Amino acid sequence: MSVSKQQVRPRLANEGFWGRLRYFVGRALLNIRQNPFINIVTVVTIALALLIMSLFLLVLVNLEGAAHEWTRQVQVTLYLEREPVPAELAALRAKILELPGADGVKYIGKDDAFKRFRSRLKGQESLLEGVSSDVLPASLEITLKRSHRDSDNVESFVGRLRKVAGGGEIQYGEEWVRRLTTLMQFARLVVTLLAGFLLISVLFIVSNTIKLTVYARRDELELLSLVGATRLFIKAPFLIEGILQGFTGALLALVLLSLTYFGFLYNAGDFFRFSPTSGGLAFLPPLYSAAILGGGILLGFLGSLTSLKRFITF
Amino acid sequence: MIQLHNISVSYQGENPALSMVNFHVTKGEFLYLTGTSGAGKSTLLRLIFAAIQPTVGQVIVDGQNVTRMNRTQIALLRRSIGVVFQDFKLLPTRTVFENVAITLEVLGWGQKDIGKKVYHILRQMGLEQKLNSTPLRLSGGEQQRVALARALVNDPKILLADEPTGNLDDQNKDQILSIFREANIRGTTVLVATHDRRLLESSHRDFVVLDKGRVVEDTRERQ
Repeated sequence: MSVSKQQVRPRLANEGFWGRLRYFVGRALLNIRQNPFINIVTVVTIALALLIMSLFLLVLVNLEGAAHEWTRQVQVTLYLEREPVPAELAALRAKILELPGADGVKYIGKDDAFKRFRSRLKGQESLLEGVSSDVLPASLEITLKRSHRDSDNVESFVGRLRKVAGGGEIQYGEEWVRRLTTLMQFARLVVTLLAGFLLISVLFIVSNTIKLTVYARRDELELLSLVGATRLFIKAPFLIEGILQGFTGALLALVLLSLTYFGFLYNAGDFFRFSPTSGGLAFLPPLYSAAILGGGILLGFLGSLTSLKRFITF
Repeated sequence: MIQLHNISVSYQGENPALSMVNFHVTKGEFLYLTGTSGAGKSTLLRLIFAAIQPTVGQVIVDGQNVTRMNRTQIALLRRSIGVVFQDFKLLPTRTVFENVAITLEVLGWGQKDIGKKVYHILRQMGLEQKLNSTPLRLSGGEQQRVALARALVNDPKILLADEPTGNLDDQNKDQILSIFREANIRGTTVLVATHDRRLLESSHRDFVVLDKGRVVEDTRERQ
């Protein structure tokens, strides 16, 4: 009896990994078509949430750029007691470059220093009449690596430099470096806190929206279970739907972000041309854009997964 | 085919829905389960397709102990049981065709085979004109037949029906009854829970009476 039943049983089209995947994706697309309103609401919610996140990232990226520009001005100047001969200069330069944190060393001879001074006094050059270039000392201007531009690192660098250089005065604008460091630390704290709050609210909003979409279809979940669907069979289309929603939402967020970015550049381009951090306004690096897409997919997937856990209790 | 041994079911803070029930249905049988509202008919049916577990006792269906099954085993068991629910449980956003096709999709059938089989059963039920309607556009009798089609489309070993003629007129009742009979002739074991005395009298079948969670009469014992 059972053998004959086996023989008339139709071939199962959805067997095997690919057969199942094809069925689940088809089912997910059909679900989206059959519930357009609820899907649009979810996608738009995800898109807006991610847009806020990516706008924040965009501001962050540009602030980082600006901060990088500012800290570039952190440099240590070593005034030499006398002009060194080339061999001495080369030896000193090599010693300094060996110090941890040193990025570059530029030699400013007495003549160069005098020229620079003169150019800074533009319009009032007469003040320098009768003054020879001998008044100003030769110096070495040392730039530091990015990771060594805060006050602690600068101070320890100066300590080491003092040992290497012997005599000679060292200047590095202590007060300014200290203020810049405090400002940067404060900015980082504020940004981290804001990012944390933002992330929590985005997760909360998106997971609740997805929960509502699953809740609206709880009868379907129950029925599928009652006609003998396994948990995988019930969950998979919902999870794929979540992934598609997340991906579409993230894509929409990136499109909106690009529009905002170019719209802003178009209208405020003049402002940035005169801005002191004249690097201009940068768009998100490709890695960040990819992270937003990945984040969207993850958001959709995890949102669906947690909602399903809550509603599949049978 | 179905055996219940010393079954008790208690919901928290309420009187037991079933207490010390012993009950069996043999393969190929057509049996009614009757009693007043709250007698425990629906609870007994729900035990068979493992929607609930008994507080005490064992449920054996098709040789397998339902009380010891994991989720996957329960899912597989349900594929051999067709259930017609009191509230039909039709999906309002899906068409009649899609509502019936669900049973076969779960089994992994291909679209072509599903199309043929679903059309065939809907024609048997006289619903071939309503393939693309949604359930909300159908009458009560038609909705009931869609629910029946969904339960029977995969030729289940067991058919369970909970008050299938609840709000139907006599003509619809007769139609539903004849569908049960045909399924039974094809080899499906049929268990129908009803409080409709007229249905019992007109079908001349054995029945078991439940009262306050206990079996108080079994017409099979008279023979």
